[in-house]
Amino acid sequence: MSTTSPTDATSASLATAKERSAARRMWAVASSYTQFRIGLTIFVILAIVTIVWPLLSSASATKLMIADRAMPPIFLGGRWDHILGTDQLGRDLLLRSLIGLQNSIAIALAAVILMFVIGSVIGMIAGFFGGWLDIILMRLTDAQLSIPLIILAITILTVSRPTPAGVILVLALSGWPTYSRVTRSITLSERRKEYVRGAQILGASSFRIMLLMAQLILPPIAFVAVLDVARMMIYEAILGFIGIGVQPPIPSFGNVMADGRKYLINAWWIATMPGVLLFTSLLSINLMGASLERARNRLYKGTI
Amino acid sequence: MTAATPVLDVRHLSVDVIRGGDIRPVLTDVSFTLGERQILGVVGESGSGKSVLARAVMGSVIAPLRHRSGSVFYRGSDLLTLPPQGIHEVRGRKIGYIAADPGNSFDPTLPVGQQLVEKLRAVQPRCSHSAAVDQVLSLLESVHIPSARMRFHEFPFQYSGGMLQRAMIVDALLAEPDVVIADNITQSLDVTIAAQVVRLLRELRDRFRSAILYIANSLPVACEIADEIAVLSGGRLVEQEPSDILIRQPRAEYTKRLVQSIPRIWEVREPPRDLASDARPILTVRGVHKTYFVNDRSRLFHRQAVRAVQGVQFEIFPKENFGLVGESGCGKSTLSRLLSWIETPDRGTILFEGADIKSMSGRQRLAMRRRFQLLLQDPFAAIPPHVPIGRTIEEPLRIHYTLGRSVRQNLVLDVMREVGLSVADYERLPVGLSAGQRQRVNIARALILQPKLLILDETLSSLDQAEQGRLLELFDQLQHQYGLTYVFISHDLSLVRKVCTRVAVMYLGKIVELGANPTIFFQPNHPYTRAMLSAVPTLEAKPFNSAECLLEGEPPSPINLPIGCGFAPRCPVAVRRCSERTPELQSVAGGTAAACLVAQHGGSIGDAVYAATRHR
Amino acid sequence: MVFLLGFLARRLLQGAAIIGLVSFAVFALLRVIPGDPVRLMLGPMTPDYVVEQTARQLGLRDPLLLQYLRYMKGVMKGELGRSFTKAPSGEAVGGNLDLNRGERAKVFDLIAGTLPLTFQLAGLALVFAIIIAVPLGLLGGLHADRWPDSLALYVASVFVSVPNFWLGIMLALIFTAQLGWIPSIGYNGFVYTVLPALVIAVEIAPIVIRSLTVSVAATMQQPFVEIALLRGLSRRQVIISHVLRNSAVPVLNLFGVQLGTLLGGVLIVEYIFSYPGLGFLTVQSVLQRDFPTIQAIAMVTTSVFVLINLLVDLISAYVDRRLDY
Repeated sequence: MSTTSPTDATSASLATAKERSAARRMWAVASSYTQFRIGLTIFVILAIVTIVWPLLSSASATKLMIADRAMPPIFLGGRWDHILGTDQLGRDLLLRSLIGLQNSIAIALAAVILMFVIGSVIGMIAGFFGGWLDIILMRLTDAQLSIPLIILAITILTVSRPTPAGVILVLALSGWPTYSRVTRSITLSERRKEYVRGAQILGASSFRIMLLMAQLILPPIAFVAVLDVARMMIYEAILGFIGIGVQPPIPSFGNVMADGRKYLINAWWIATMPGVLLFTSLLSINLMGASLERARNRLYKGTI
Repeated sequence: MTAATPVLDVRHLSVDVIRGGDIRPVLTDVSFTLGERQILGVVGESGSGKSVLARAVMGSVIAPLRHRSGSVFYRGSDLLTLPPQGIHEVRGRKIGYIAADPGNSFDPTLPVGQQLVEKLRAVQPRCSHSAAVDQVLSLLESVHIPSARMRFHEFPFQYSGGMLQRAMIVDALLAEPDVVIADNITQSLDVTIAAQVVRLLRELRDRFRSAILYIANSLPVACEIADEIAVLSGGRLVEQEPSDILIRQPRAEYTKRLVQSIPRIWEVREPPRDLASDARPILTVRGVHKTYFVNDRSRLFHRQAVRAVQGVQFEIFPKENFGLVGESGCGKSTLSRLLSWIETPDRGTILFEGADIKSMSGRQRLAMRRRFQLLLQDPFAAIPPHVPIGRTIEEPLRIHYTLGRSVRQNLVLDVMREVGLSVADYERLPVGLSAGQRQRVNIARALILQPKLLILDETLSSLDQAEQGRLLELFDQLQHQYGLTYVFISHDLSLVRKVCTRVAVMYLGKIVELGANPTIFFQPNHPYTRAMLSAVPTLEAKPFNSAECLLEGEPPSPINLPIGCGFAPRCPVAVRRCSERTPELQSVAGGTAAACLVAQHGGSIGDAVYAATRHR
Repeated sequence: MVFLLGFLARRLLQGAAIIGLVSFAVFALLRVIPGDPVRLMLGPMTPDYVVEQTARQLGLRDPLLLQYLRYMKGVMKGELGRSFTKAPSGEAVGGNLDLNRGERAKVFDLIAGTLPLTFQLAGLALVFAIIIAVPLGLLGGLHADRWPDSLALYVASVFVSVPNFWLGIMLALIFTAQLGWIPSIGYNGFVYTVLPALVIAVEIAPIVIRSLTVSVAATMQQPFVEIALLRGLSRRQVIISHVLRNSAVPVLNLFGVQLGTLLGGVLIVEYIFSYPGLGFLTVQSVLQRDFPTIQAIAMVTTSVFVLINLLVDLISAYVDRRLDY
């Protein structure tokens, strides 16, 4: 019904806008936020410590040193070579936490990549083709969505001794429906846009058109996926805490803290110190991610 | 027409806009007065500062706008320096506002009636709820909204554009204001609907004694209603005169150019060149139907049929320019989708160069796509925003042929030069290009396969006059060079008048009239064509008496189509037979083919209209 | 109205299909995993032939589909079976040669006893989350790119980085063990719900904050908001009567999707605080291989999901009439 009037003012301002790519502008604005800088600082420090400390420290994450057991952290009168204290078997908590962090990130990253790929492919197919395919895929998504992660995890991981691969699989299974829903709704709205029609008129095959749309649709979603890495790290820790995640002696935040639960009254740091490390690393990721998200919203609004 | 004390007195108003650290002036030293019950038109092209003026006159100069100097006096008080309480007394109450795009002016989640009542009670707090409802209903009826009681409870998305604009008029008039600001109110409406709205406004002005500040995009639109016109250019008021004087004897240079550049429909003498040569049509459309099904919300598992295209039939000959015009809901867009075979017709055939598209194999159809192409309206959405334009233009080559990279690149560069794009832009993303340049990218992409037929679906509608002119020259040149055939689908009658050799008029899914350019415009046979031509805002004299041709009401929805002629309910000359039999498109004395029983059975429509109105 | 009924009928049918699918999947999965429940019930010392006999008596050796159909027939009548491992007193009973099955608790009772407590917990958590998230989100959206928006961002980031079980441990440690202000382990009155609810609220608040800020900011950009001010409405009126409604739909949709997270959080929190709700029951049942209870819980939770999603869609369509059912 409406006819677009000449929008020369807009086109003129677009033409005079800086040539820098949109992504670069977004990063520039995001990195100017204080939140981003705080997050980045924490992240860098943690990254350095995670890589360097295990190489430097004389302590071992897995060897038992009963003599040193249950030592309090440094600010409660402990020693310098066990900054966060030791657990009930004498293993250094900082070391265990850092290695747990490495494992945690690795598992979370793998899970997110897997769920992103599965979810976005299903979502794009459902959104693009519509009809029966859409209905079936979306019901499948809903069904998966209605099985909470915990129940799924408990059911699958009690089949056999839980392995990291099993944990990754469970995390990915619980997470792909969200990606598929979001991708589907974006695909549905993009599909009506004129450039899709233009491509169809040219004779492009559906596959080719979906590839074209993917380049536009996926980056914003990939962006949210980065934040999901943090979320998955928490879930991995939860699973470890109930005992169906990564098993000891491989340290993960979950099982370290689970062990410590029994010693809450006497040696409360065993259960809580690793949590502080987890919290800090997640905070850094989330601060950066939230800043990027805000910058991205401003980009789409046109104010930068 | 001066009054003793003007209602609105704008003096030396200057407003700046602050964007990204830069300060640019938007309005500079604007001064004018609006007298009691006067209609002042303000005309300016886009970017001239019209919408900022509308806001300033309501006292609303907020970030990113900044008031530099000057004042806006409403009955003696400066709106720009009033405290919030004072503004609250005036805005919505003494000064009413009608926005440009009615579709976005109401909250989509609440019923229209409720929002109107809310506004009334906000500006007149002592009004009770039931009194407000009565007032709203009575006004809804005066703006000719049918079944006002029922419409009161409906949501904005259930209203058509014309009805929403009427609702906005009701909103503005509810508190019986002294001044009404009409901000480009007919811009997004169809021509016949816009004509109704303007007529309505004139009626209401007499009843409500309000002055109107009528802001418009173009001179002809303002002249339809304004007694006096002020011309705005680049933020400055260039000239202000009574309408007829302004048109006949413009003083300022800008105004003179403006008057010159308005496209003429009837004063153009020479008919467009007719290059049609072959007798064999390049595209044949026969008996094409297309129906969509939507969920019927009033019954359980029922679906309603939307008859978008009903029995369309025409032929297009090589090297001609065929125009297809019509207003919203006529089926133009569906037809363009059918012609480009993105959707298939339910019934009927489309032949391209004699071959039936439906019976083609996939490979043949792909080959056919090389021979004819479709260009869409929105230059910003038709090309993917994240792909460099060289690649976009190259895409058809990749789809249809296997060629080496450098061969492709050379072809792309060639076609870029041809359409007037700089080859340095090969790697550029669309984001920095103007609308005209993007449209050229579209054209390049369509041309690279060397098609024979180009369908242009509102392709030039979102460009300004100058750019349109340049692109039309390009089309002309390409036509000479390659022997192209064009189909122009447009609502812009002046464009079609300038360019097309034959014109078809669509209404409710059918072609109601088809004929050569001059005949359609000067001696239309179908009442709808007459009505549409009468409603176009123009400075020229029309060859037939337009006042008698204006339509009432809205076109019926394509869901519940009446039996017989679809136009009959609104037609000024309809007789009883028109609602019983469906007219077919047939040649009529006078040169065009018209689907109208009255026209087909002798007598020119002009006489029939004259006779009918005499008896009213 | 008629259309509404059709919509409800369709969704309920789809819901039933989903419940059927999920319950069958869980059913099958449980029969496939190793760890014979019968052996668990009877104790490791029981001779094999007794185990086999008991298993056959319980119907556990029949073909899968048959077992499933038999079970579903019972469900239709409201009979959810009896726990393999729990006695009516709530204690676990296992490793007991005495197979007096009358002693085993009815699954229905188990669930009926725990479900209300979980609803109470979830309800309180939701209330806390709304109290925290809505003002922050609203202010953040209304004053986009200024300090309320930053505050919302900080709070959301901090909350989303906190592992829920860690927070639970910390809160219990500080407020219950050290300071003694508020009891939290187990259940002996409504006050025991407070700390667990707080932990869950912290978990779900961030996503509501984020979604609300974006949604409100987007609504404020829409033309009708500015035009409403020009028409004479006051800013306060516009925000209350219009902006809130229009911002609500994306946030509502979120509830439907986030239900899974909510349930997961409830489970962990109940486990940590030994709060005797459905989540706690779930963890115990799985660790004890109590098939009938696990099965029933899976069905109950899926049904709750389906119903709540249905409700969310209905409310969304009521708020914004443009949405097609």
